[in-house]
Amino acid sequence: MKMLWPLLIFCSLAMAQDKPVGVFYFIPLLGHVHQSPARTSPSLTTIQCGHPLKVIEDSKVVIGEDWAYVAVADWKGFVWKKHLKASRPDCFQARYPKFFDALSLDLSELYYWGRLHDHWEEGVARP
Amino acid sequence: MRYVFLSALIAFSALAQDSKLPEEKELDVVDFQNVKDVLKKDGLLQEVQRKKTEVVKIKEIRGEEEKLRYIWPTEEEFWPLSAELWLVKQAPLLRWDFDRPDYGLQESFSTILRSVGMLQKRFRLLAIDSPAPGHLGLPWKDEEYCLLFSVPFVRSMDLSKLEISLLLLEDVLRLQEGWLKDYSRPAKLKEVVGQNFMGSKPDLTPMHEVGKAYTRFLAEKGFSFQQQFQITKKMDALLKPHPELWNSYVRLLGKIDRLVKGNPAFADYLKLYPSPEMQIRWLAPEEKVP
Repeated sequence: MKMLWPLLIFCSLAMAQDKPVGVFYFIPLLGHVHQSPARTSPSLTTIQCGHPLKVIEDSKVVIGEDWAYVAVADWKGFVWKKHLKASRPDCFQARYPKFFDALSLDLSELYYWGRLHDHWEEGVARP
Repeated sequence: MRYVFLSALIAFSALAQDSKLPEEKELDVVDFQNVKDVLKKDGLLQEVQRKKTEVVKIKEIRGEEEKLRYIWPTEEEFWPLSAELWLVKQAPLLRWDFDRPDYGLQESFSTILRSVGMLQKRFRLLAIDSPAPGHLGLPWKDEEYCLLFSVPFVRSMDLSKLEISLLLLEDVLRLQEGWLKDYSRPAKLKEVVGQNFMGSKPDLTPMHEVGKAYTRFLAEKGFSFQQQFQITKKMDALLKPHPELWNSYVRLLGKIDRLVKGNPAFADYLKLYPSPEMQIRWLAPEEKVP
């Protein structure tokens, strides 16, 4: 029994670190999972519209309300919350797959297109 | 009694089966008419027919779905896509991927739009780190405006967020006039939008032509004096009911005029937006003859 205590403590700590919130889908045409919650922070990986992202909570990671902490493949990073949706979005790539393929975007263009969506500031003149 | 009768019936039928010669039994098997009758009786032929019809329908649906994958986007989708593609290709020159302070423009610009009665209009702003263009509206969707502003440009004049918003309001009016869209509209656009290109490659020349037209417009063409006059008069009419906004607008034009005359880094501004000096004159109240 004495031997089990450290294992139990380790397990409970490990569980407390990554608490899944749910699966959300990426909305913009292209985007990035960031290393830190800032629009100019380096990109961990480039993702496309409709990509499922596991939103997680980690007691050790404290972020502002505009950003979500996500896990995708082997990466854990940050995306704008405004870029996430609980249901599958209507993606341009899905509506026009052959046209989008024909654009033949190179790696640098894919990168910049993702960065562009991090830099837009969107608004609406509400009455 | 019933069980006896049933047992007798089963025994009789077994005997009847046995009474058939092996060759007869074999004939039964190879007698296709007989097999066909059995199939008919079981409704299997109808089932086969139903399955065949289903397969044809599924193939048709899949064919239609496959065809839909080869559609050229609509014109409404073309403009934002080509604007984004242009911005992506111009990223090293326009330098919009940079760290900058939050100017709080979303709120300020929404307030300005509301003040002049442009309700429910959506907008997207992009700050650039290049001195030119100082500001620009790119063709986007009908109910949404895509606006760029240069941080070095606004910083050189120490513009307030109200003044930046007024600058962007001018661009909204230009977008409403559709001048840049008309100038850069590719000749083939009408032919390709919404068309199916299955069996061939999509014609992407309109996408590239638009980008080239934007670059040409910024470098060479610019807005004309007539267009600038129209915009200035529109701004005058929109801001007249709000004296504090109108005064800010006149002050803003004065600042731009001084900047472009005094700082060679921004001299090209006049190619794109002639001329702040004239704009101030057009705004001046007409002198009454005593």
